[in-house]
Amino acid sequence: MKTIKVYSTPTCVYCKMAKEYFKSKGLAYSDVNVAEDDAARDEMVTKSGQMGVPVIDIDGQIFVGFNKSEVERALAG
Amino acid sequence: MFELIIIGGGPAAVAAGVYAGRKQIKTALITETFGGQSIVSNEIYNWVGTKAISGLKLAQDLEEHVRAHGIEIVDGERVTAVAKVDGGPPAGHFSLTTSSGKIFETKTIMIASGSRRRRLGIPGEDRLDGKGVVFCSTCDAPLFKNKDVVVVGAGNAGLEAIVDSIPYASSITLLVRGTELKGDSVTQDKVKSHPKVKIIYGAVPTEVLGEKVVNSVKYQDKATGQTKEIQAQGLFVEIGSLPNSDFVKELVTLNPGNEIVVDHKTQQSSCVGIWAAGDVSDVLYKQNNISAGDAVKGLLNIYDFLHRNQLTGAHK
Repeated sequence: MKTIKVYSTPTCVYCKMAKEYFKSKGLAYSDVNVAEDDAARDEMVTKSGQMGVPVIDIDGQIFVGFNKSEVERALAG
Repeated sequence: MFELIIIGGGPAAVAAGVYAGRKQIKTALITETFGGQSIVSNEIYNWVGTKAISGLKLAQDLEEHVRAHGIEIVDGERVTAVAKVDGGPPAGHFSLTTSSGKIFETKTIMIASGSRRRRLGIPGEDRLDGKGVVFCSTCDAPLFKNKDVVVVGAGNAGLEAIVDSIPYASSITLLVRGTELKGDSVTQDKVKSHPKVKIIYGAVPTEVLGEKVVNSVKYQDKATGQTKEIQAQGLFVEIGSLPNSDFVKELVTLNPGNEIVVDHKTQQSSCVGIWAAGDVSDVLYKQNNISAGDAVKGLLNIYDFLHRNQLTGAHK
């Protein structure tokens, strides 16, 4: 089972899409709201080198934005 | 060989797909994602038949609807090139290439690829994209808590970026090229009267500065010609959109704004066998409902074309 973490804001639709995608696949993920959690926001910026959401961490592999086919490949790999 | 390939995943593409399925035209729909540009809207109040719907729910409904109609769906792919084969239809056909290098052949094409965000085209914008330069204000405004931000764009999108930022940013400067705001007057009033918001008219952004992240934004004051600099950690760019028509620019006539010129009675482009609908076309009003309706109009004309030229096996 891969560890999935989604850095998101409550207003971000692509974040919701990503989370709904993981839900639909029955995959567990942790969700951090970087609008509230400053430490998580810094962690996200360090990991991704940028400040846009969503950032998705799949076993240390970092994705900026939600691209379903990229995420599918990471989950399959 | 397909009888029809629909390019796009917004309201126009889906409307064409649903009708194509019901008409039993052998169809593929190629899109990166579903929903179109409204996907980032929190609530849409004018999608006819639905009192209120979120952009995300609309996207999901559109995808579900088109998938229920028996056409082939190729998602996660973008069409990058279109070429005529044997002179194109009616005698020949088209060949389409996608971002992953797949080739599709088809007798007709409905382009409903919509549009993408327009960029400022100034130094620093690309380098600092995601590092303070923001193209989805709704998404990223909460990340600029206690920061100073600059918004560019006098239309509704620019004004909404300010509304999105008010709960978070410590100051918001709106740069407006012209002499007035263009968005809805209700939003204008909300923005103009807020103590955090400063509006500068006659201001043309010239550069975004910052080593690793945005530190400041430079603009030229049109009246005096002077260049001024604003200290800011965020630059929100909300200056409209550009049609996604690059992949057919050699085949069809585009207007100066790069929109595909269509016959508004049939949605046909200047190239036989290619139709266009929605924001990629030269339709005057960019609206979900209009995109869907125009695409249906185009699809019915495609159906006629296929039958007239005996190119379809539908209903035989």
